[in-house]
This record gives sequence, C-alpha cells and structure tokens, in this order.
Amino acid sequence: MNDFVEECRREWRRLGVPDPIANEMAADLAADIEEAEAEGGSAEDVLGNSVFDPQRFAASWAGARGVTAPQPLFDEPPKRRGVLAVALAGFGAFFALAAVALLLGRRSASAAISVRTIFPGRAGPYGSVGVAPSLRFPSFGPQFVVQHGGAFVLFAGLMLLLGVVALGLAVMYWSPWSPWSRHRLKVHAREVGRPNRSARSGR
Amino acid sequence: MGEGPAYGYEMTKRLRARGLSIVGEGSIYPLLGRLERDGLVETRRAASNGGPPRKYYSLSPDGQRALEAGVTEWQTARDAVDGALGLVKVEVGP
Repeated sequence: MNDFVEECRREWRRLGVPDPIANEMAADLAADIEEAEAEGGSAEDVLGNSVFDPQRFAASWAGARGVTAPQPLFDEPPKRRGVLAVALAGFGAFFALAAVALLLGRRSASAAISVRTIFPGRAGPYGSVGVAPSLRFPSFGPQFVVQHGGAFVLFAGLMLLLGVVALGLAVMYWSPWSPWSRHRLKVHAREVGRPNRSARSGR
Repeated sequence: MGEGPAYGYEMTKRLRARGLSIVGEGSIYPLLGRLERDGLVETRRAASNGGPPRKYYSLSPDGQRALEAGVTEWQTARDAVDGALGLVKVEVGP
C-alpha cells in the first residue's frame, strides 16, 4: 500500500481511531491515489500540499469526522497526577507545620524558662509555667537556647521555606493555569490539531 | 454533489473542472468528513468503474436544505460585494 496511506494509518492508530473506520478511510484514500496514478497523475493531484504532511492530513480528516478517541488532557494518567500532587502537598504541609510548631514551641519554652529563671519558686507541676510537657526544657534549657538559638531558628526557617515551596509546587502542578499544564495543552493541541472530544465509534 | 453522488477523488475532479482546484486539494476529505458528521450527506459503498468499491456521497435532506440556504446566503453576499465593487473605477491600460 502507498507509503502515504501507511503513514496515515499509523497516525489514526495513534489517535485511537477504531480499526474498521481507519481501514475504510485507508481503502478510500488508496483507491483515489491509485485512480489518479492510473490516469497519469500522482498522489499530489488528490491531496495537494497535504501529500507532504500525512500526519497532519490524517489528524485533520479523523478530527473532522469526529472519530478520534478522547485525548488525555495531560500526559500522565489522572490518578498518577493526583498521587504526585497529594504527595507534594503532604510533604509541604508536614514541613510547614513542623517548622511552625518548632518556632512557637521555642518561643513558649524560652518564655517559660525566663519565668522560671526569674521566679524559680513558681514552677508548676511540669517544672515550668505554661510549657507543654513535650516542649519542656529541663534546667539546662536557658543554656541550650542561648547556645543553639540561631541554628535552631535557621533550621526551623529552612523547614518552613521547604514546606511552603512544596505546597506551592503542589498547587502549581495541579492547577490548569500552571506553566506545566499550559505546556501539556500546547503539545496536545499541536499533535491533534483541533481537539475533538466527541469520538463517535459508529462513523 | 448536487449533480449526483460522487466519491472523494471524483468530487476533486469535478471541482477542478470548474476551476476550483484549490478546494479539492487535500481538504476535500476533511470537508466530506465534517459534512458526514453533521448529517448533511449520506454515504453508500458501491462499485466504481472497474475499480474497488468506493464510498459515494450524496446530499441528505438536511444537506439539501443547507445547500439552498447557503446558495441564497452566498448570492446575497456576492450581490453586496458586486454592488460595492461597481462603485470602484478601474482604469484599464493606456
């Protein structure tokens, strides 16, 4: 069969055109080209400039007939996209919350430790006033805060930054207005021509 | 198509015979596909002259109505353009 027709068949297969319809279109096209050649002409007499771009021609014809399979909006399956976005969001939320908890806990601990240092006799049942058990600092607390306060804040700040960035990436990845999504849409439009989502298997 | 059923390349030749070769070039297949999708043509597969069976296109009742409406619309537009161009004076040669 004519190379042009074979190229068209490959494109129709790629676009998900049902086999019976692709076979019919291929047979009609091959017969027309053969007739033109038998009359002393060529495929160009049948197809004009389209003879130089079989993929575009095939996509255009299938799209006009409405026989292309619905094209995925994104390269990845939706489930995989969802998992990636959720993983990014979870990662970001964990780091952001952990950083906030550390920063707030440090501030509370410092305040409580200051109170205890000034008023040692007012220590409550947990050993210091207003400090949650998990965030309590023992007697070496003030030294710890003094010696490692800068690094602690830096560490917590980095965690917060990481979390915010991960959350932002998750939103961008999911959003249809993100550069990634727009890129995918451009690729999709270029490959299929006019998107046609109403595939009709009966034609 | 108003002259009778025709298959793709036959239609291309008809158009070319009327000086409309540019319409037939490659665009005839997507055009016929669109008409078929919109129910404006009917198709049937039949043997051609000594060749393999071909898909013949003919106007459906909806297609006939669309053709009549399109012809009227075209003539109206053409008359308007002719009227506008009639006011333009074209100088021909020395």
